[in-house]
Amino acid sequence: MPALPYPAASESLRELGRRLFFERRLSFNNAMSCAICHVPEEGFGTHTSRTAVGLEGHLLPRNAPTLLNIAWRPRLFHDGRESSLADQAWLPLLNPLEMGNPSISHVLEMLGADPEYQKAFQAIFGSKQPTMSQVGEALQAFERSLVAAGSRFDLWKYRGQASALTPVERTGFDLFQGKALCSSCHVVGKDDAVFTDDRYHVTGAFLREASPAAAGSSSDEMATSPVEIELAAFVQAVRSDLGRYEITMDPADRYAFRTASLRNVELTAPYMHDGSLLTLEAVVEYYDRGGDAVPNKSPLIRPLHLTAEERAALVAFLKTLSSPAAAALPTRLRAIP
Amino acid sequence: MKTLKQCFTAAATAAMLVTGLGQPAVADETCNSPYMSRLIKGQEQFLHVWTLGVKGMGDGSDKLVTVDSDPKSKTYGKVIHSLSVGGRGEAHHVGFSDDRKFIWAGRLDDSKIFIIDVGTDPAKPKVVKTITDFAAKTGYVGPHTYYAMPGRMLIQALSNTKDHSGVSGLAMYSNAGELIETYPMPKDQADIGGGDGYAYDIAINARKNVLLTSSFTGWTNYMMDFSKVLADPAAMKNFGNTMVIWDLKAMKPKKVLDVPGAPLEIRWNLAEGQDWAITSTALTSKLWLVKEDAKGEWQAKDVGNIGDPSKVPFPVDISINADGKGLWVNTFSDGTARFYDMTNPEKPKQVYEKVIGKQLNMVSQSWDGKRVYFTSSIFSLWDKKGADDEQFLKAYDWDGKELTKKFELDFYALKLGRAHHMKFSAKSDVASSDASLLTSRR
Ligand code: HEC
Ligand code: HEC
Repeated sequence: MPALPYPAASESLRELGRRLFFERRLSFNNAMSCAICHVPEEGFGTHTSRTAVGLEGHLLPRNAPTLLNIAWRPRLFHDGRESSLADQAWLPLLNPLEMGNPSISHVLEMLGADPEYQKAFQAIFGSKQPTMSQVGEALQAFERSLVAAGSRFDLWKYRGQASALTPVERTGFDLFQGKALCSSCHVVGKDDAVFTDDRYHVTGAFLREASPAAAGSSSDEMATSPVEIELAAFVQAVRSDLGRYEITMDPADRYAFRTASLRNVELTAPYMHDGSLLTLEAVVEYYDRGGDAVPNKSPLIRPLHLTAEERAALVAFLKTLSSPAAAALPTRLRAIP
Repeated sequence: MKTLKQCFTAAATAAMLVTGLGQPAVADETCNSPYMSRLIKGQEQFLHVWTLGVKGMGDGSDKLVTVDSDPKSKTYGKVIHSLSVGGRGEAHHVGFSDDRKFIWAGRLDDSKIFIIDVGTDPAKPKVVKTITDFAAKTGYVGPHTYYAMPGRMLIQALSNTKDHSGVSGLAMYSNAGELIETYPMPKDQADIGGGDGYAYDIAINARKNVLLTSSFTGWTNYMMDFSKVLADPAAMKNFGNTMVIWDLKAMKPKKVLDVPGAPLEIRWNLAEGQDWAITSTALTSKLWLVKEDAKGEWQAKDVGNIGDPSKVPFPVDISINADGKGLWVNTFSDGTARFYDMTNPEKPKQVYEKVIGKQLNMVSQSWDGKRVYFTSSIFSLWDKKGADDEQFLKAYDWDGKELTKKFELDFYALKLGRAHHMKFSAKSDVASSDASLLTSRR
């Protein structure tokens, strides 16, 4: 991956950020931490629901994205509405659906009253009482340390280790760059690869949730429970998610979402902004059939006419993007008392 | 550890008493631990209902609502007291301390536990202690079942602080509210049959030295809108499929039983020569029997459907008769109470059913089985929406053939909230306090 344009943060600042990241008292009812939605063992996202569950069970409309390699993202969120990790941290802290704190002071006073945090802030910033920007800086320093590169693909492509990929995986990469059109958006450079153009496109992948039965039809993966009509009484109304448009109000941005980086993608199921596709196989199948009919869809999302072997090769390639660091990080981070 | 050992010595004594006296089994006055004293064999005077606050309704707070349940009283069938504990944290189950003087009332979201004095004046319960560090101290989230042990409270939680999944465990507290010990649920322990780590209910058969547990799901699912859970295959994978036989004295898991579909409440029939437990599975809508086979090995057996499983009736609370021969089974989706003849536990037979409301969760019956109480709420996010979201306490008389309504309280009209778990109480001169209490079930 390219070099980072930031000076490395001090060990003590990263450590403070780590503590804050796992801190359940950072939510109004002491039940949520950043790590509850960005679970280290689940690729710093969540596998156990399509979209994240927040404070008091508020269901968020979007899937919790991975925070691995987040340092390289110039714009944050599926709709790119934020650009600074330090500022971003305050959005979940104050969002009534996520951590629900009633005010900034409420958070700062809780930290300022805790002897352990007092000590840490004193040592790093020279004052026992934290400020808003210091909390953001600490979380940012921690998040920037979540680097997970050095995948088998990197060894093969950028380190000249020819045997690091199998022939099938190499076929998959050829398709990724060629016939399957993937790299037009998931960019692979000459010297490094972040697997995203950090732009917004309409792939059309989202759930039509008028009813659970209808949701089931957006992918064959989804027919699960024996439940149909009986459920009517339980169902809540759902609003549509218009993606980038909700920030720009430009009709051309309706249903457009930021291109996801595909590094460590094997770890970040379920997929897309709403977790509507459960497996990599389902994602590849979705692109292969040219996606669903939605207004504004990118012209690059069109039937690809891949064979079953080609689809399997693409999936095999995507799985070569997993980094050994991604597997090792959770244990290391939790081991610190 | 000396204290814990004492606790199990007492447990063993209790077990001996049961055998020695050859008492008829089990009782309801429903769902109390065999270590609990002062069972009410006569008329329950008060009904305490642990109620979930609803945002914008009244004070919005979770509360313990006390209802006069004595037909001879002037305020019979009326709310006589309401104790707001502050905030909403997914109020759920409650349990008595072994001396029946305190109710431990828990919340599944913020994991707070309120110890409430109902012994001094059951008409005016009072919070005496709030445990706020359950999650921080145990690593578990969602304290669910409160099971009295001699001088102790054993708590089964539903989730954990690490990933909010269903992997959880048991925590032993002193009656004073201090954590003594935790016991993780078995997970992937090949030597005892695996285990999924999931947790739900506790039920003890001291004579057999067995603690039996069941398994449900984690925070992410029970705090998610129910229609979303059912439509989310990533979430539907995360339900418990096991029950666990524990060595009670050693507090060690001994055998994992396969019981697919989220086995929930467990009820023992502790009568001599019976020693079986029954549970229902929420997702597969079945009754399962746990019993020793001819070789003395504990086995779990599917003993029949509840309603039509294809319609997802969703069995929830169950309540067994004092003689172990009858069982109430509530199904949530169709709001129906069903009564089963359990004379042959291998072949439970449904003999009665009645629609109680649009949705139905908890059931509690008096010791003699003649009075049965029902409430409506399961979880704030699993209850039905709109007009189907009825919230009530309904009291009935049961003559063995028909339920006859005595009174009904609309918890929304009264601006109380969602009605969940119930416990009975009585002024001390009414409660029985003889040793036969030790024969009571769970
Ligand atoms: C309730 C679940 C939840 C909690 C708690 C939570 N997040 Fe998130 N996070 C999400 C979701 C969902 C998104 C995507 C939202 C969107 O795109 O609109 C997200 C997005 C992000 C992003 C942007 C990632 C990207 O790829 O652009 C960052 C960074 C982030 N969260 C950090 C944090 C930090 C730091 C905390 C704690 C202070 C936190 N989150 C707490 C659910 C959560
Ligand atoms: C037109 C640009 C474009 C093309 C072409 C494209 N993608 Fe994507 N891809 C996106 C966008 C945008 C997202 C995020 C969509 C969302 O969040 O709903 C995405 C998401 C994904 C994800 C989900 C990542 C996650 O963590 O959720 C995978 C996997 C993926 N693409 C693989 C592929 C493959 C394989 C191909 C080629 C067959 C491909 N993409 C072609 C733009 C594109």
